[in-house]
Amino acid sequence: MEKRQDIVLGLIFVGIGIFAAWTATNYKGASGTYPMVLGLVLTLLGATVAIKALRKPINQPRTLIDAPAKLVIAMLVATIYVALVIPLGFYTASFLLVLAMPLALGFRRVAYAMTVAVVFMSLVYLVFSVLLEKPLPRELILSVISVGG
Amino acid sequence: MEFYTNALSHVLTFGPLTAMIGATLLGVFIGALPGLNPVMAIALLLPLTYSMDPLVALAMVAGIYNGSMYGGAIPAILLRIPGTPASIATTFDGFPMADRGEAAKALKIACWSSAIGGIASAIALMTMGPMLARVTLFFGPAEYFWIAIFGMASVAVMVGSDPVKGMMAAVLGLLIGTMGIDNLSGQARFTFGQTWLLGGLDLIVVLVGLYALPPVLQLAEKCDLKGLSAAQLKLADAPFEEGEIRGLIPTWLRASGIGIGVGILPGAGGNIAAFLSYNAAKNASDDPSSFGKGNPQGVAAAECGNNADNAASMIPALALGIPGNVVAALVLSALTIHGLQPGPQLFHQNPTLVGGFMMEMLITSVLIFALGGAVATRVFAQFQRLPGVLLVPTILILMCVGVYVINGRPVDLWVMLIAGFAGYFLEKVNFPLAPVILGMILGPMAEQSVRRALLISRGDPTDLVTRPISAVLAVVTVLVIIWPLVKMMRRRRRAN
Repeated sequence: MEKRQDIVLGLIFVGIGIFAAWTATNYKGASGTYPMVLGLVLTLLGATVAIKALRKPINQPRTLIDAPAKLVIAMLVATIYVALVIPLGFYTASFLLVLAMPLALGFRRVAYAMTVAVVFMSLVYLVFSVLLEKPLPRELILSVISVGG
Repeated sequence: MEFYTNALSHVLTFGPLTAMIGATLLGVFIGALPGLNPVMAIALLLPLTYSMDPLVALAMVAGIYNGSMYGGAIPAILLRIPGTPASIATTFDGFPMADRGEAAKALKIACWSSAIGGIASAIALMTMGPMLARVTLFFGPAEYFWIAIFGMASVAVMVGSDPVKGMMAAVLGLLIGTMGIDNLSGQARFTFGQTWLLGGLDLIVVLVGLYALPPVLQLAEKCDLKGLSAAQLKLADAPFEEGEIRGLIPTWLRASGIGIGVGILPGAGGNIAAFLSYNAAKNASDDPSSFGKGNPQGVAAAECGNNADNAASMIPALALGIPGNVVAALVLSALTIHGLQPGPQLFHQNPTLVGGFMMEMLITSVLIFALGGAVATRVFAQFQRLPGVLLVPTILILMCVGVYVINGRPVDLWVMLIAGFAGYFLEKVNFPLAPVILGMILGPMAEQSVRRALLISRGDPTDLVTRPISAVLAVVTVLVIIWPLVKMMRRRRRAN
């Protein structure tokens, strides 16, 4: 609901503003004054949004999430991917993501997803590792192989 | 003139030329894929430009910007799905044309109109930008402070539906901009004992999160599992008939003027330029009832208008450091990551770069004639056969690689993810994201300028408003902030 969303939004920003202003009191001289003023202004603006929403006579519905299940899946898979990029290595985690995300979202053409994953990851490798020579998180599988060897 | 000939000699070299051609093609491709937009593409591109020559990096920004504005017309005409928000008005007449078998003609008109709008806009940038920059020679710290505040205030109150939320977004950006070591006193602020925060939050990391992740999450929500069929993307050749181009010239001139005007105004974007141009063409037509039923003038007006906004939005960005829209803010970010301070001094300190970027905006507009033609359109349209659900992980991977290569720190990936999740929900509650980025860019400039001005005036704050230019800027800033609030109160009183 629009009204409730705006009240929550306003209150969140009141909280951020108060926290910033309070934290800034620990800083010396002008380096503290500026963020303190900003914190207070943010508090004021947040309160204005919340009060405006409270005083609004009608509540116009506003959808916050269109497809909650799909959104939660996408957020969860994205979070797991970021968590795995360092331990598994960039290419391994990314390859798994290209396969897992569409499947988790209901895509059932595994061969199609596999082809896209292979083509896309090859392109990423060519561009970032060969052409641009960007250092990316090391592959766990390579470390295992080198230890084994 | 020497300013441009010198810049042109740098632009017409292998690196920038290749970047312009490649990026314009990439831009058309991005625009053609619904769900992807130029802001997202440029945000993804910026981290990769760290090690590049600034002119090559800006060539890529110019190519993607101009190319994608045209590319958005492809799905708008073929499927009535606007590839970018700026191509919504293109659907009004483009799709009815495609429906009666004139898709190729509509695409050709869109291509020509985009190129002409872009060229007119680039010429406006090249003439008005340096003129505006000359005025800034009289600027001191007080004026720079007001310029920064004016830029943020105007975008904050004009972007989005609620000016208070816009201002809240700008102040949030300013606060984020204070994180890290204070350059003037050496005080660490909002670092919470974390060494990785001593340099503050990386602008590009936050930017990629805020602008690239929300569209990815929306794509996941839409969950397109099929893509389009080949039959939906079939095109036939359609050359211009005699007198057809002549008939479009008045529309192109009108739409170019409107697009340039809208581009210069902070806060207004390509979609507004396209709507205004479309309405102007309809009002000027002898047969306004034919609009919306496949009138080629409607396609020409919308496409010319949205491309004419592009380079013009860079006029306040380059001359004053005030970005007119999000892409202009991204261009300022691109300059920042190359160690260049956006704002009035840019023209005097880096004439080759600024002139070069203006030439690149012009050249990439001309390139649309060649690269946006029927063949390219046919090729790029085929990518719409790819199920949207497969784009979700691929964009996420590009975001991660882009963010990781900036500092090589895993923590940046988490910052990006959190910024993206927050950006998704904030957008849903009509909280504009552009002022956050502007606050981060212009905040340090505003703070340092005000503190320098106070040092010069020995702590006298009246000096900020007593110099003639700073007084004018202060009054204009106050008016910009107050005007929408007055309008809002008036509307409420009338409603009561």
